[in-house]
Amino acid sequence: MTRLTRAFGRPLALLILLFASLWILGLIAAPQVIMIEQSLWRMERPEGSAEISVRIDGLYNQLDVLALDRSAVEAEADASIRAQKLDTSDVALAALEAEIAGLEATESTPVKVYTLANFAQMGSAHFAIFLKTIVASLAVTAIALAVCYPIAFAVAKLETPQRAGMIMLALVIPYAINELLRIFAWQMILNYNGPVNALLGLFGVEPIPFLESGTGVFVAMVYAYILFMVFPLYNVLETLDSNQIEAARDLGASSWRIHTRVVIPHARPGIAVGCIMTFMLSAGSYAVPYIMTRGTAAPWFTQLIYNRFFEATNWNVGAAYALSLLVICTLFIFVMMRLLKVSLKDIAK
Amino acid sequence: MSHTGMGSNLVLRIYMALFFAYMFLPLGVMLVAGFSDYSPPSITVWRGGTLRWFSELWADERMWSGLTNSLIIAVAVILLSLPMGLSGALLLSKLGGRAGGVLYAVMVSPLLTPGLIIGISTVIFWRHLGAAAGLVTAILAQSAFIASYAMLMFMARLQRLDNTLQEAALDLGATQAQAFRRITLPFLRPTVVTATVIAFLQSFENYNTTIFSIGGQHTLVTEIGARMRFGMSPMINAIGILFILVTLIGAVIWGVLRQRERKLEDLR
Repeated sequence: MTRLTRAFGRPLALLILLFASLWILGLIAAPQVIMIEQSLWRMERPEGSAEISVRIDGLYNQLDVLALDRSAVEAEADASIRAQKLDTSDVALAALEAEIAGLEATESTPVKVYTLANFAQMGSAHFAIFLKTIVASLAVTAIALAVCYPIAFAVAKLETPQRAGMIMLALVIPYAINELLRIFAWQMILNYNGPVNALLGLFGVEPIPFLESGTGVFVAMVYAYILFMVFPLYNVLETLDSNQIEAARDLGASSWRIHTRVVIPHARPGIAVGCIMTFMLSAGSYAVPYIMTRGTAAPWFTQLIYNRFFEATNWNVGAAYALSLLVICTLFIFVMMRLLKVSLKDIAK
Repeated sequence: MSHTGMGSNLVLRIYMALFFAYMFLPLGVMLVAGFSDYSPPSITVWRGGTLRWFSELWADERMWSGLTNSLIIAVAVILLSLPMGLSGALLLSKLGGRAGGVLYAVMVSPLLTPGLIIGISTVIFWRHLGAAAGLVTAILAQSAFIASYAMLMFMARLQRLDNTLQEAALDLGATQAQAFRRITLPFLRPTVVTATVIAFLQSFENYNTTIFSIGGQHTLVTEIGARMRFGMSPMINAIGILFILVTLIGAVIWGVLRQRERKLEDLR
């Protein structure tokens, strides 16, 4: 704080603190904390509500008895005695009714109970989808890495810098076109009546239901997020000194060894960023499964989350599901950082 | 790479050509389908070209209101996330050690969090405070992660700031605020421009965070998403063509500007 005031003066330092804390506390930390809290409780019937309901039944019986007595009183001949007796029975009735109303309120007002039941609600069916989403996202990440590594290497090391710049600029174009529209294009390509099936038909192959089988989701997902792998890889490989490769080659290293001992170790931060982004985007993708399957194939985990929130409107369970996804993504980040021995500073560039 | 065998080089080139075909083929499909006079959108059936989908798009009220909402959100996000990102970067520049590390981790965490979780947590938080989901929650949710981009860009630029300039100004009697306004801010100007562009694009194109945080409202992109689910109109391809057009123009402008910048640098 004193360092901040010394550097910027008091008014400016206060302004900086204000904006920074608005962002960090108001937009990042508080929502996350509230979401975690929400996932840990649910509204339940209060404890002992069964006993209360037995009591309420008993009171209703008493009420009926009193009402019966009251109707007997109405037959009383003496007007003054009748009025007196009616008054006392009315008071008793009102007291009973008030007691019942109070008990019923406690019985029906749910109380907030902290529990892990929201997570358990997932059940085996939803848990299977959760696992499937994770495995599929890992596969998307692995494919993207395998496809992009040669591309990034070729552009960064085999092209002149001028041409490399042009190629990367060209790749920005599909990247800049909205994700939904690119996915939609794949929807048309892989459609049952689409060009791929038309082409296969020429060879006498029966049309394949790509979209309904979930293959379409996979293809479109690789396509949609592959560029998040290309750019980080290219950025690190560009900084690799070509002389190192030359030296290794002069010393008799094979291409394989050059890559495993020189290029890949240098590319670690890029690989980490690419894998983390691709995995996170795939596991958290709502658009791809939503557009590619339109409900015809098994859902992606994100669709379950959406349904908990906006269709079943059970926000507690929805928060628990969302938190599960967040935990997996965080876990993946730590594993990648460990495996590739990179720090957060290397990642966020 | 004279040492590389011609064979493996050729293989790599073919591979690259295939990769580019893979990247651009869907855009071609979109282009053809957008002009095709046949619905549902298809490129296997051709009944002649048409501009019908563009005129339908032009007459579509919800698309226009979505565009307005997108622009409102984008402007608000820029106005909110740039000061926040800059404040974060300035704070980190004066903060070292463990506290700085933790703060840095928190500030980049939105970039590593799935967008839908940012959207959901924002909506839950504001419902606790009694506010329903709408444009405002969408703005706040988007700003949470777009500020991280701004912060990283400002941080990279600040690292190259010559501190002696500031010290000289202070020695010559300027107040810290004056030094900031006359030295630091002008130095940051190019980053302000790029950060604005990036923030605009990120906000305008965002689907994942927005769909989970906007409630009953819609932006252009969430409306496109809704159309894709119900009824498949080739109109979507018309939008796609417009997106490609705008992107191409943007890329050309950017390329020309960079070329000119490079020439200027060469002259110096």
